[in-house]
Amino acid sequence: MISKKKIAVFGVVAGALTLAVTGQVIAHHAFGAEFDRDAPIRLEGEIVRLEWVNPHSWIHMRVQGEDGDEIWMVEGGTPNVLLRRGLRRDCLTPGTPIIVDGYQAKDHSLKRANGRDVTFTDGTKIFMGSSGTGAPDDAERLRQRQERGRC
Amino acid sequence: MRISSALLALAALALPVALAAQAPDGWQVPRTSDGRPDLQGNWSNATMTPIQRPAGAGKVLTPEEVAEIEGGRQQFIQENSQDSDPDRGAPAVGGEFTGNALFDAASGGTGGYNLFYIDAGDRVAVYNGEPRSSLVTIPDNGRVPALTDAGRARAREVALARGEHDQYDNPENRPLAERCMLSFGSNAGPPMLPNYFYNNNYTIVQTPDHVMIMTEMVHDTRIIPFGEKPAVSEDYRPWFGVSWAHWDGDTLVIETTNISPEQLRAYGQVFAGGVGNPTITERLTRVGPQSLNYEFLVEDPETYTGTWGGEVPFVWMPERVYEYACHEANYALFNVLSGARAQERQDSGNDPDRE
Repeated sequence: MISKKKIAVFGVVAGALTLAVTGQVIAHHAFGAEFDRDAPIRLEGEIVRLEWVNPHSWIHMRVQGEDGDEIWMVEGGTPNVLLRRGLRRDCLTPGTPIIVDGYQAKDHSLKRANGRDVTFTDGTKIFMGSSGTGAPDDAERLRQRQERGRC
Repeated sequence: MRISSALLALAALALPVALAAQAPDGWQVPRTSDGRPDLQGNWSNATMTPIQRPAGAGKVLTPEEVAEIEGGRQQFIQENSQDSDPDRGAPAVGGEFTGNALFDAASGGTGGYNLFYIDAGDRVAVYNGEPRSSLVTIPDNGRVPALTDAGRARAREVALARGEHDQYDNPENRPLAERCMLSFGSNAGPPMLPNYFYNNNYTIVQTPDHVMIMTEMVHDTRIIPFGEKPAVSEDYRPWFGVSWAHWDGDTLVIETTNISPEQLRAYGQVFAGGVGNPTITERLTRVGPQSLNYEFLVEDPETYTGTWGGEVPFVWMPERVYEYACHEANYALFNVLSGARAQERQDSGNDPDRE
């Protein structure tokens, strides 16, 4: 049996390791410099184009604006990460309706945003998330997803 | 009791990973046609283990500590994989933070750089069967040694010079990774260390007279000849330095010096602002069908008060390494600079797109 005191010690080590890694993070670019956290946005529309390239994928989507259709670009993850999270390029074909919430680019003249949360219209994440992590419910989550017709 | 059971269950999950790192009975190192150990293929050094050891941690983690660390990551992934409300609105003004220090540090509250972006590794580093708390193992405290007086003085000079320029003034002032010049941090190396973000993937190809190591990030490629140290000027400081290799029994040994100061500066936290000219020795040994042991040693007595080095497990990767066509969709560099110009217009009260 593991005592509460021991659990507290484990927590200290786990937290310390996480913080140590955080201090060593080097991103491709700082989202804080690219996107405006005072300009949240919700987009609903259909995919018109996908740029499936490193370092970041970009989803182009058509959105109904006040003055007609607008094409927005949404920044996503790298192809290798998305593949490991259970998402393939052919899951995001043109015409697929999606919902995106995120933050607009700092230059508001650009119709660009980051994909904080990207889902199908029923709320399903477009990536599986737990795929390949060894999580106990990976297989069950995959089965449920396939039952809903998601790839 | 409930927490204890969960921890033990997660500890059991970690066990197969440690076992996978060990060679099965009767396993023999595969060899190339010229009889050398075959190190070729795709490998990953993604891990949750930090480069330097945090205070209070021992060198080897207990099964319970591994369970706590890896279980926390798996729980976070599962929670973030749940369906969202399709009727949700836009996120909060001022940014939203996930509570995950890694993600929040990277996103600056915009909520990006979450599971949609990051694959930092879901396991601690297991080296020779030991789950480790740091990749640095020399010196014994797992920490990069302090700088010498000369090293500190030069680091101050570099910092002062850097402070003379605004980082958003032009593309040349942006980080090398953002400009698609070089992989993140010391990903390509030497030493080859994880970036704790994504794409910690490598391809190794051998010929009798060269070894090639390609890093997925920014398509960085080291082509290293076997033989003596090439005769080059001390002032010649290319990306990845000047390297040469030899075999020590079944271990591939690569020595490198003359690494570009700009490259060392890109990982200033470990390389003291790029002020030195370290000699780095790397040793790669195939220890199992899915395991490669990678050791490194950094020697720079003018900069550091001691030699330092570490051990990093490389794990066989069955997936392919994706092409890193960095500039094909590198809208980010434009967006960052354009955002800075928009900020300047707003600060001067002259931005029609912002109130």
